[in-house]
Amino acid sequence: MEPTTQGVPVVKLSGVSFQYDDKVVLDGVEFSLERGEFVGIVGPNGSGKSTLMKLILGLLPPSKGKVELFGQPLSKFREWNRIGYVAQQVAHGAGGFPATVQEVVASGLVGKVGLFRRLNAKHHESVRAAVERVGLTDKLNQRIGSLSGGQLQRVFIARALVAEPELLILDEPTVGVDQESIEQFYSLLRSLKEENGLTMMIVSHDVGVMSQWVTKVACVQKKIHFHGTAHEFEHNQEKIMQSMYGDSVRLLSHHH
Amino acid sequence: MLADWWQYDFLRYTLFSGILIGLICPLLGTFLIVRRLSMMADGLSHVTLSGVAAGMLVSKKIAFFSAVNPLFFGMLFAVIGSLFIERLRKVYKAYQDLAIPIILSTGLGLFTVLISVADGFNADLYSYLFGKIVTVSIEDLYALVGVAVVVLGTVFLIYKELFAVSFDEEFARVSGVARRSINLWFMVLVALTIAASMRIVGVLLISALITLPVAASLQIARSFRQTIFFSILFAEISVLSGLYFAYLFDWASGGTIVLMAVLIMLIVLGVKKLRAIMR
Repeated sequence: MEPTTQGVPVVKLSGVSFQYDDKVVLDGVEFSLERGEFVGIVGPNGSGKSTLMKLILGLLPPSKGKVELFGQPLSKFREWNRIGYVAQQVAHGAGGFPATVQEVVASGLVGKVGLFRRLNAKHHESVRAAVERVGLTDKLNQRIGSLSGGQLQRVFIARALVAEPELLILDEPTVGVDQESIEQFYSLLRSLKEENGLTMMIVSHDVGVMSQWVTKVACVQKKIHFHGTAHEFEHNQEKIMQSMYGDSVRLLSHHH
Repeated sequence: MLADWWQYDFLRYTLFSGILIGLICPLLGTFLIVRRLSMMADGLSHVTLSGVAAGMLVSKKIAFFSAVNPLFFGMLFAVIGSLFIERLRKVYKAYQDLAIPIILSTGLGLFTVLISVADGFNADLYSYLFGKIVTVSIEDLYALVGVAVVVLGTVFLIYKELFAVSFDEEFARVSGVARRSINLWFMVLVALTIAASMRIVGVLLISALITLPVAASLQIARSFRQTIFFSILFAEISVLSGLYFAYLFDWASGGTIVLMAVLIMLIVLGVKKLRAIMR
């Protein structure tokens, strides 16, 4: 923790809009994430929640507004090893890739170790530690194709953790993971927050499970419609849904 | 028969070239295949072919170029083609493999036009198409050694970046890896490898040497490093046995090498199946 960034929000979005072609995906979003928070981003399909995440990661440029990471504007930000990223699993299709758990987790060090440098014994030790942290030590040298969906997701967590990030961003991490593993998964995240002091941001459509584990919730539908504690969210859920979905609220209750 | 390989210069050049090709083709091929870009080799080999034809044409028509090895024109065209593919992949983001048929047909189209302009070429062209032992010169070998040094050096120096980009491009990007430069450099290396290998296996069969050993290796390897190791092992066996039989029976070297690679792949598949049944 560097003193210069103490008290500065980990992520800050000011008046951020994003559109492609004629479609406005996000419109004037104000959002900030403080150190040590565990925020859940919720919203229906196409609400812009994944876009929000991609803007924060610099994968998409905002059409308008400003994105700041650790107090630095995105365009100047270079310390990417302070951020760990776990993508949606279906986007991967990585199961068939001929690599071991060890090799995949080690690839998480690529930015930290730097160009032209090779991994040393200390790096390999941190790979082992990250794999142990997610409880897959016995799978270390197995091909990832032999793992279950839940195990594979934990491999990706380990890959994000191995470079010791301060912020962990997860995009729909429970898609394709069975119900039992989801509970395990969230309790792992909770312990990462409590024991390692990680700041976390998780995008999920599964509001029910997620809101039990996070400390804060932000509801996205073009704008941020609600941003408060998980407790407040639970108590005002109906009102928030009404504001987000308007007339189509019946559609949502059908899902529950 | 085996002693011939040391007695005659051209056979020795062929042997050395074969060993180098058996090293770098499957090495780059492993990265290409896991990225689902195996057809890229096909596209680039056709561009290289048009480059060779252009080289032959200018050396025939313009005295200044008469001493220039057409291979270098092939390399030049291949590199331009690889840059073009990267460009097209960006333009057609949702249809990335579309870049390959575009490049492939452009290369082939150019090739046929150049042949007709030149009023046909001598039999030398046949060796570029299908590979022929006796045509390997010391100059060809030097070019190949140069390419091999660059390829091996690159993979040694940026192995972890290549792995990260191949496994998960988005994650690599978020990790701050200069994925654009790496992709570009990698494609240039593929292009140079194809151009430098064509004397031995021929342009039409080069992609087989890039893909077949890797296909066999994928069946049995337990890690990414092993995938690379086995694909190189299988490629070397194919090249050495292929060259030997090609010389012994006076067959086309490229075809013989490729058939050996196919044979190895079938054996690996067969053994794997057999072990599954026995278990």
